[in-house]
Amino acid sequence: MSAKPESIEQIIAHKHIECLHRGFHVWPALEYGKPPAMGDSRWTADLILSTWMQAETGQPPSNGLEYRTGQSGGGFDVLDLKFLPREHWLADNAVIDLSIPLNRRGYDREIRIPVPFYGAGMSYGSISENVMLARAMAARKWDTFTCTGEGGYPASLVSYKDHVITQIATGMFGVREETIQYAPIIEFKYAQGAKPGLGGHLLGDKATTTVAQMRESVPWVSLFSPFPFHSVYSVEDHKKHIDWVKTINPAALVSVKVSTPTDIDMVTVGSYYAGAHIVQIDGSYGGTGAAPEIAKKNIAMPTELAIPRVHRYLVAEGIRDELVVMASGGIRTAHDLAKVIALGADGAILGTAELVALGCTRCSNCERGRGCPFGLTTTDPELQRLVEPEWGATRLSNLYQSFQSELRAILRRLGLQNIRDLRGRKDLLLYRGNVKAS
Amino acid sequence: MYRRYHLRTDSAPDVATLPSPFRVRVSKPGLAGFLLKEFVQYRGNRTIMLNRPCMYGVFSGPVGGFAPREHLCVGCLRCTTQYPEFVRILPNPARSFLGDSYFTPDRVDAVCYEARSGKIPVKGAGYRGPFGGDGWDGLWTDMSEIVRPTRDGIHGREFISTVIDIGAKPSRLTFADGKPSCEQPQLFSIPIPVLFDAPPASLLAETVVKTFTAAAEATETLIVLPLESLAKLAVRGRHIVPLITRARLGALHALDFEPAMLELDEWDQQLFAQVQAQFPRSVICLRLELPSTDAILQAAGAGVRVFHLLANYHGRGSDGRFATDLFREAHKALVAQRCRDEVTILGGGGIIAAEHVPKAIICGCDGVSLDTPLLVALQAEFAGEAVSRNTGSFKLPSRFTVGWGVMRITNLIASWRDQLLEVMGAMGLREVRRMRGELGRAMFQTDLEKEAFSDIAGYVS
Repeated sequence: MSAKPESIEQIIAHKHIECLHRGFHVWPALEYGKPPAMGDSRWTADLILSTWMQAETGQPPSNGLEYRTGQSGGGFDVLDLKFLPREHWLADNAVIDLSIPLNRRGYDREIRIPVPFYGAGMSYGSISENVMLARAMAARKWDTFTCTGEGGYPASLVSYKDHVITQIATGMFGVREETIQYAPIIEFKYAQGAKPGLGGHLLGDKATTTVAQMRESVPWVSLFSPFPFHSVYSVEDHKKHIDWVKTINPAALVSVKVSTPTDIDMVTVGSYYAGAHIVQIDGSYGGTGAAPEIAKKNIAMPTELAIPRVHRYLVAEGIRDELVVMASGGIRTAHDLAKVIALGADGAILGTAELVALGCTRCSNCERGRGCPFGLTTTDPELQRLVEPEWGATRLSNLYQSFQSELRAILRRLGLQNIRDLRGRKDLLLYRGNVKAS
Repeated sequence: MYRRYHLRTDSAPDVATLPSPFRVRVSKPGLAGFLLKEFVQYRGNRTIMLNRPCMYGVFSGPVGGFAPREHLCVGCLRCTTQYPEFVRILPNPARSFLGDSYFTPDRVDAVCYEARSGKIPVKGAGYRGPFGGDGWDGLWTDMSEIVRPTRDGIHGREFISTVIDIGAKPSRLTFADGKPSCEQPQLFSIPIPVLFDAPPASLLAETVVKTFTAAAEATETLIVLPLESLAKLAVRGRHIVPLITRARLGALHALDFEPAMLELDEWDQQLFAQVQAQFPRSVICLRLELPSTDAILQAAGAGVRVFHLLANYHGRGSDGRFATDLFREAHKALVAQRCRDEVTILGGGGIIAAEHVPKAIICGCDGVSLDTPLLVALQAEFAGEAVSRNTGSFKLPSRFTVGWGVMRITNLIASWRDQLLEVMGAMGLREVRRMRGELGRAMFQTDLEKEAFSDIAGYVS
């Protein structure tokens, strides 16, 4: 706690925060074993606990927790990095560059981030304002970005605006001229991996008065964003969208967030020709605050399978070096990050991993009632107190630190001095199939 | 006059209690010690002391954590995160008895939720399961991004049709003197691409059959029932599809109504002709166990225009292959014979979740038949593995009325139809008939992995 609690409410919050923080510390240390009911195939108990540990220490665990892969039996979990023999590793003190440019067009402003990742769009309403602030603080510290999601731009974020991407999604909630002008990058969200082909879902319980005010909607009424943008049915329409935001904010870069249909390669090329600087390929196993269960598993393909297709197609079109491809939707670890870059992405976008760093147990109760019992995906004033922005920013910063050091270690073992040299290097991957999901 | 298809749903609570997903174990000495410590720390302030970590009410009973109400536990793990010394949340082993190895406890939960609420299951966080898998799990449906062929939508703004046609669909009509010179094709439509298969013989009791038939009528679909059971149970109506076996053919003469469709249990050209002659205005369907490509082609050549192709309850054909492959094989065989558009394929077996319906249709079925999900909606317990119709054994709840059962099944169908609309909306499809055999709008795990990973060392298909 940053200040001594005074009111009963503050004392209660303090009591729970203290216990939670202690829990985030003792569980990954395995003093009590692993929580028996924690984890699933994708996010195993090991991955959750190791992310908690990284968020506390800034380093990967060394106590036997498997922090690199899950047990889904496919995708990242059946790919290994093919390290060189030890004698060919780069020296421990070798300078490894993890930076990537976010504009490869040769025009418009240059933005370079020192790590090949930034934060995914999570809307005000789906997550709390404190979590948004924590993410913005961490983004500023690391000179990278976080994203508003589609729920509007809380005033508290304005002081971090140089590190906040403004998302324009189909619901257009909270999109105003000034929020477009704040942003160094504007993100058009055409689709989301967890619910491809469907609009955003914010169930009524979470549409509180303040959320509704931000979204200019009616309190306690569920908000289902339309799908698709009903002004966009072609690449030409898409270009009009981009022209529109460039008129309002000519200095902004434009990112386009799409899901992963069969023609994802064509969609990406279309976005390129419409003028996008960044295309975010959001695979179907990504996170969400609420989505129909049928959409999560069954519609569109996982990012591991989409990125190689996109990369290959852009190379064949001769435009690969003009477009930044960011992968998202199931990037859990530094190893996933390295693998997806080797599959063809420039970098990756983190969402669920950040929430896990802040204490998420992946219990899937984000959408209901008061929302997350850990104060993450909630709009409940009492629960929000469980995540103090400064504490959250430190946790995220530590996670970034761990990812950075792990990525450097990976590149050193691959004999690469530059993360950009890893892009599309499938020859540095090893497939170990026939792994059964747990 | 046009009437929009709509199913009225209503709450139909479970009559049998499902085992809670989690067990909550609290060490009583640990809790007592903790309370004592808090009593001292907060000087007996009850507001602070009794403010519990659980927001779902697990510890809000009269004696709090000393008797946790574990049926309320959602597995968020906040309590055990905060108090690892004396609280443990465990998966409930009693759940392993739900369903069987194919109809897993999670699937049972989903169907029960859909049957009691009629709603689409919506949850937070991303997908939690295996990357892919055999059969249905190795298949993803497509979605349409920014270039959409239609302005289809969901949530009621725009209309998506789930109507399918069952019967003969000749590719052309012939006319003479301005009048049709060909036979009028026997064809009818149902508003959803789902029908009900016959319950196992052990469940052909009056209450079950009346529930199934009333639910079929309420949802405007069909129910297959053994011919010999109809008279005995006094059920009748066009929505009832008598299942005819050669051995019980005699019962056909006692049939006192004209069904929309009759189903033959085996291929017998003479039997087909005999039934068709007796019911000239009804569609005659041939029921075949998968795989059955040769039989399908033979029967199609002899004039059969509707096939009901069945895998076992676990979605496998007699050769062990999964229904997705077998439906595709049958579909493609008919395409190769250039008669696919003239016949109707109804597929069944192993369709136990809403997503299996569009996937079966994409694999080549016009519609699907449901079996075990209807029983699970009625909270039937599995007695061991239920693999086949002949050997599967189920026990229905003792407190079970026809009205409740009809509501449960109606809710299930409404929920599955809404989920079908979600999938079709995402694909940009305006009608389910266009989805049939649209393999280009499906993505198979094996194909995608081959494309993405085949140039990676160690890859094996």
